[in-house]
Amino acid sequence: MSLRSRELGFLIPALLLGMLGLAAGASARADELQAGPWQTALGVALVFIVMHAVLRLRAPLSDPYLVPILAALTGIGLAMLYRIDPGLAGDQAIWVTLGGIVFCAVIVFLPDQRVLERYRYIIGLTAVLLLVATMVFGTEVNGSRLWIEVGGGQRIQLGELAKVLMVIFLAGYLREKREVLAIPTQRRLGMNLPAFRHLAPILVFWGAALVVVVVLNDFGTALLFFGVVLAMLYLATGRPLYVGLGVGLFAVGAMAIWAAVPRIGARVDSWLHPFSDAQGTGYQMVQSLYALADGGVVGPGFGRALLVTEGGNPRIPALETDFIFSAVSNDLGYVGAIGVMLLYVLLMARGFAIATAARDGFSKLLAGGLTAVVGLQAFIIIGGVVRLVPLTGVTLPFMSYGGSSVVVNFGIAAILLVISNRSRQGLVEAVRGVPAT
Amino acid sequence: MNKSIRTLYIALASAFALLVVMLGYWQVVAAGGLDERADNPYKMEKQRLVDRGRIISADKIVLAESVAYREKGKKYYRRYYPQGTLASQVVGYATPQQGATGLEQQYNRYLAGSYGTGAILDRLREETKDGADIRLTLDTRVQKTAEALLSGRKGAVVAIEPKTGKVLAVASSPTFDLNQVTSDFASIRKEPDAPLLNRGTAGLYPPGSTFKVVTAVAALASGKWSASSTFDDKGVYVVDGKPIYNSGKAKYGLHNLTDALTFSINTTFAQIGDTLGGRKLGGEMNLFGFGRPTEIDLPSGEVATSGRYRDGKLLPNDQRDEDASRIAIGQENLQVTPLQMAMVAGAIGNGGRMMRPYLVRRVITPDGVVVKQQRPEEVDSVASAYIASEVGRMMQSVVSEGTGTEAGLSGLSIAGKTGTAETGDPERNQAWFIGYAPADDPKVAVAVVIEDTSGTGGTEAAPVAGEVMRTALSIGPVPGEPTS
Repeated sequence: MSLRSRELGFLIPALLLGMLGLAAGASARADELQAGPWQTALGVALVFIVMHAVLRLRAPLSDPYLVPILAALTGIGLAMLYRIDPGLAGDQAIWVTLGGIVFCAVIVFLPDQRVLERYRYIIGLTAVLLLVATMVFGTEVNGSRLWIEVGGGQRIQLGELAKVLMVIFLAGYLREKREVLAIPTQRRLGMNLPAFRHLAPILVFWGAALVVVVVLNDFGTALLFFGVVLAMLYLATGRPLYVGLGVGLFAVGAMAIWAAVPRIGARVDSWLHPFSDAQGTGYQMVQSLYALADGGVVGPGFGRALLVTEGGNPRIPALETDFIFSAVSNDLGYVGAIGVMLLYVLLMARGFAIATAARDGFSKLLAGGLTAVVGLQAFIIIGGVVRLVPLTGVTLPFMSYGGSSVVVNFGIAAILLVISNRSRQGLVEAVRGVPAT
Repeated sequence: MNKSIRTLYIALASAFALLVVMLGYWQVVAAGGLDERADNPYKMEKQRLVDRGRIISADKIVLAESVAYREKGKKYYRRYYPQGTLASQVVGYATPQQGATGLEQQYNRYLAGSYGTGAILDRLREETKDGADIRLTLDTRVQKTAEALLSGRKGAVVAIEPKTGKVLAVASSPTFDLNQVTSDFASIRKEPDAPLLNRGTAGLYPPGSTFKVVTAVAALASGKWSASSTFDDKGVYVVDGKPIYNSGKAKYGLHNLTDALTFSINTTFAQIGDTLGGRKLGGEMNLFGFGRPTEIDLPSGEVATSGRYRDGKLLPNDQRDEDASRIAIGQENLQVTPLQMAMVAGAIGNGGRMMRPYLVRRVITPDGVVVKQQRPEEVDSVASAYIASEVGRMMQSVVSEGTGTEAGLSGLSIAGKTGTAETGDPERNQAWFIGYAPADDPKVAVAVVIEDTSGTGGTEAAPVAGEVMRTALSIGPVPGEPTS
């Protein structure tokens, strides 16, 4: 069976899962058996079928599992949004369509990811500019300044795009510097360190991450950026020392901010003791924990938990974005939530497999970095919801409500598939004796 | 680089494993505790979906039941109390807004159907059981008699079966209508005479002379005195320069211990207390359960601990610096509940064995399966059978010729003790009677307290106690099915 037929074989049940979820949510809402918003469901399914077709034509050797995983996550996310508020699912379907267009555009117009390496500094600069633009022109929502207003009352989160650009830049930069970073030239404080000028960009990123926290009031994005820098540094050099050093520096910085910025301090306090102010700062977390507890082992099913009041308001603030995972855990129980987490682990497994199979350093770093971004982001927000780490406002990739996040994550998947296609193509050509391009 | 990629994958996958563990903690391990928290909106919402079990009295009268109604196509239940105000503090209410009290709270697990095998197993199977009925020891015939006698006054009546600990009645006046809790809670709560308070179990009163029963047991147990030991009353007994007088400044001259209890002679009991000392008397109080929470199947917040209080804090029974002579006559910061005093009387009637009081004798599922059956349990042996019978004889004398004659019933022998705790305001005595009947084979023990009266225990409380005991002794078993 060809790779693409295998993809289709997995894609169809994945799409059916989402459709059934939507129908189940609609039935629970109406208290009778209903097909649900079948137009929306079919539309989204069509988007994935088109993505599949484009892959068949333009990247036939790419990994066959990624798109079905995406479809399953997107489908469950849509079903969850629908049961929270049907309007949200309608919006999200549009974002998914946009994401599909971006996905296809990447596949068609980026036949070889290595061109990106050439523009690494321009891309890196663009990432910084996007962040600066957000700082300067950003609109504050819920106390965090992450959005840029565009026409028609729409807002876009440039940080989401900056995230991808940064990974591309780092892949290029680290590919260039990995030898000098991996070989220590000096001993300081009992540690073997490389020359300062090679480490400097990393320190700049560390500083920038902290600035992001303070100016944008966005602990989640800072944590994500910093984590990805460390992950890629480790990928490039294979030296755990950098990770340890980085984590140490971040801890010091985080402590300082915790003490200095009241909002962050309050957030950490409500993380440690949510029940001490269950009606105030701890409200969101406490309501979410009640939702998890109510879900139990198997949960009542799509749309059956009491997540929304009779007036139609979600019980948990930011349920459709930061707390979408609480909705999953409540409706589908521990079993369903583990299923969703396994999908993310599976996604990472495929992403890192693509990185392993890639045939040059830049592609390996790019695939590894992009995979780490998605995995870390999912970990940070789920960890916040289950109270393993302080809660920070990042989206759950492919599931949370929000256009910027959906579109960018579809783009990430597309780049991974391009890399995958490229390395298998190279392999095929090598076997046939055709020189790799 | 492939080695680092592998390591990074393992690291991230392990981080997700940690998430799975943590999520399991919330969804499985901690879930039960979270579900029961008072501010959990799911708990309130779910309450409306549950067909709660009924609360049924010993004489098969339904005190609480669930009534179904439909709202927006969904089937909900609300609580209905067919007897309205009857035993309202004991039955309690269960509403999504005000939470639950009384038996509604204490037996919520059974009434709401979430009892049975381990909570985790239940969650796994997602089984919702129908609520189980709880069958009470409380008999509405005794309860109604007690409430009718208290009507228009403030006070409480507790009636128990001495040999088993079954609670036959807990009347607390004033009362309130359980059906109005949802609509009028704010006004009920603001009423000056606190109808929500269960005076029978949570009302604390100075015991006055009823406490002399405990002192009498201590006196006999010490071996220093017998029922016929003689005393000479000069009308006053001075401790630390402060005089203790008899009620009405009476002077009794030569008399024995039985006479002392019969006529409630303060000077004699003060002298006994003084001789015994705080430690001996405190030890006796420990035996009778003073100073620790009374074990009964009601929410702990609705049962007060009897004992000695200073500034609202419970003191040890045998604290040295206290005046044992005044404790012996029921003064010196003693605060007791009617339930505790009913248990004192019951223990004397039951040969010195104090039984654990209980309100629910059985929990039955709608299919008729008994999931919980309460059997009589002994709390403690508070006195030897001999001492109990001696004190019982003295208490009989109280009713036949002493201060408690108003409790007397023709053809029945009653043992009892009156008490009148004075507050300084002659219109605001706390009138007491404790006792049991029939004296030779007790079927019922009672404690009665009437608040803020110008009368005495003998004139106010004793007649109430007599009437309640007469009712308790006249009721027979009730056949047939429960009725509203």
